[in-house]
Amino acid sequence: MAQENETPKDKIPRIDVYGFERPEEFDYAFYEDFYSRYLSILTRRAIKWSKLLKKSTAIEKSLKVKRYIRKGIPNEHRCNIWMIVSGAQVQMEQNPGYYQSILDEGNEDAKLKDAVITDLNRTFPDNVQFRKTANPCLQSNLYNVLVAYGQHNRRVGYCQGMNFIAGYLLLVTKDEEKSFWLLDALIGRILPDYYSPAMIGLKTDQEVLGELVKMKVPAVAELMERHAVMWTLVVSRWFICLFIDILPVETVLRIWDSLFYEGSKIIFRVALTLIKQFQAFILEARNFPDICEKFKEITKGRYVMECHVFMQKIFTEPGSLSNVTITKLREKHKSKLLTQE
Amino acid sequence: MEAIWLYQFRLIVIGDSTVGKSCLIRRFTEGRFAQVSDPTVGVDFFSRLVEIEPGKRIKLQIWDTAGQERFRSITRAYYRNSVGGLLLFDITNRRSFQNVHEWLEEAKAHVQPYQIVFVLVGHKCDLDTQRQVTRHEAEKLATAYGMRYIETSARDAINVEKAFTDLTRDIYELVRKGEINIQEGWEGVKSGFVPNVVHSSEEVIKSDRRCLC
Repeated sequence: MAQENETPKDKIPRIDVYGFERPEEFDYAFYEDFYSRYLSILTRRAIKWSKLLKKSTAIEKSLKVKRYIRKGIPNEHRCNIWMIVSGAQVQMEQNPGYYQSILDEGNEDAKLKDAVITDLNRTFPDNVQFRKTANPCLQSNLYNVLVAYGQHNRRVGYCQGMNFIAGYLLLVTKDEEKSFWLLDALIGRILPDYYSPAMIGLKTDQEVLGELVKMKVPAVAELMERHAVMWTLVVSRWFICLFIDILPVETVLRIWDSLFYEGSKIIFRVALTLIKQFQAFILEARNFPDICEKFKEITKGRYVMECHVFMQKIFTEPGSLSNVTITKLREKHKSKLLTQE
Repeated sequence: MEAIWLYQFRLIVIGDSTVGKSCLIRRFTEGRFAQVSDPTVGVDFFSRLVEIEPGKRIKLQIWDTAGQERFRSITRAYYRNSVGGLLLFDITNRRSFQNVHEWLEEAKAHVQPYQIVFVLVGHKCDLDTQRQVTRHEAEKLATAYGMRYIETSARDAINVEKAFTDLTRDIYELVRKGEINIQEGWEGVKSGFVPNVVHSSEEVIKSDRRCLC
């Protein structure tokens, strides 16, 4: 029978639910296996969440909510929960009409517009919703969100990488104004200044990661030092793009669930988990190019596709990582960097 | 086992956003061309072996850099350990040509105390009908800076090999003449793995003869 001969590749759509074309080397067989298990988790979580939301519509910070979020926000509630826990909802309600007016203002700024337009065609060409031929095409929404944000936050303006983040926000919220306020929550409050012209927050966090690796996975830190590999080379994209195009879409969204609720230290958790899990593999590297290659490899494959298990790992694998430690390390490295300049 | 190479050179590729730096490098290292390519965020790394003369192989390590201005705070750390650079502009984008000078200043300021051998690359030469920069003025500028000028197209694979190979040969000559030296703590040039580096087939024959005596 034809049906019996169907391989996972025949059954699983080439384009995922967000509109991304699956890459050539996509592991269909493992995905099918993983997804059949994940589907029951999703169902269970969906029931739990609807019960929680029935009790009260106001989600407040609590251990229970934190635990629920770590286990994943169901797609249908994701936009809503992100809006609430990030504070974007409050901002949007307190500033009615602001988005449209700042967008109109931004449209007067030729330099900002140019910078944004340059990257429109280069944002997710592998996503059907961002293709010029798509109807509706998200490129125009992306343009609006980025121009409005660049005008709203003049110090940051537009920085490459923000196009991918705003793109994901549009795919999840399907709403320009909400995407704008979520972008504001991320860039304005949740992340240190990764995107401002001096990129001091980004440089600081890469130093902090280096130090955390030294503490938690010393052999890898030693390898990096021996071959003089700068952390900026291997992890810039992880930080700037918040794992977009680095890890599978579903995994990225699960990471963002916790990022919106728990803040930027989640990025360190993810980075440390990858490095620790693949320590032996990284240590096989014999030279500089090997190391770069290994860091690309460790973000691919089954370990990161299995997003539910991966999310459990990020909270156990790296061990304790308190906000106090992060704050201290950030202060230390930031002042070090500032004196160097 | 890694192929045997005489030297390893580190090259950096710079220039404005969208001039085609990543596409040029991918064409050179992977032999492919993508119609659309993500903006480079930060720095990326590629490598390839080139043969500058039969039997003489040089390993190239190539830094791909973000073109957007603010990423310079990240990319400027990579000049110091580069021995060569490709400075790209897009022949259909006049502004990218006007910014060549600024890129060079940026490089000069951050390469100290070392030096970089640059080649000026007019990219996207397949789009000749949309040309905004003449070959003549680009050549003039390159001469003024004491560099080579070459026009390339990653899409049509024009001069891509030549751009990298010519630069590699130039650096090789400087190393051979002792004008660029291998230095401890500098990654720009490294000597190959081979013990008793054999520089050409002639030398092998010569030494063989000596043994027979």
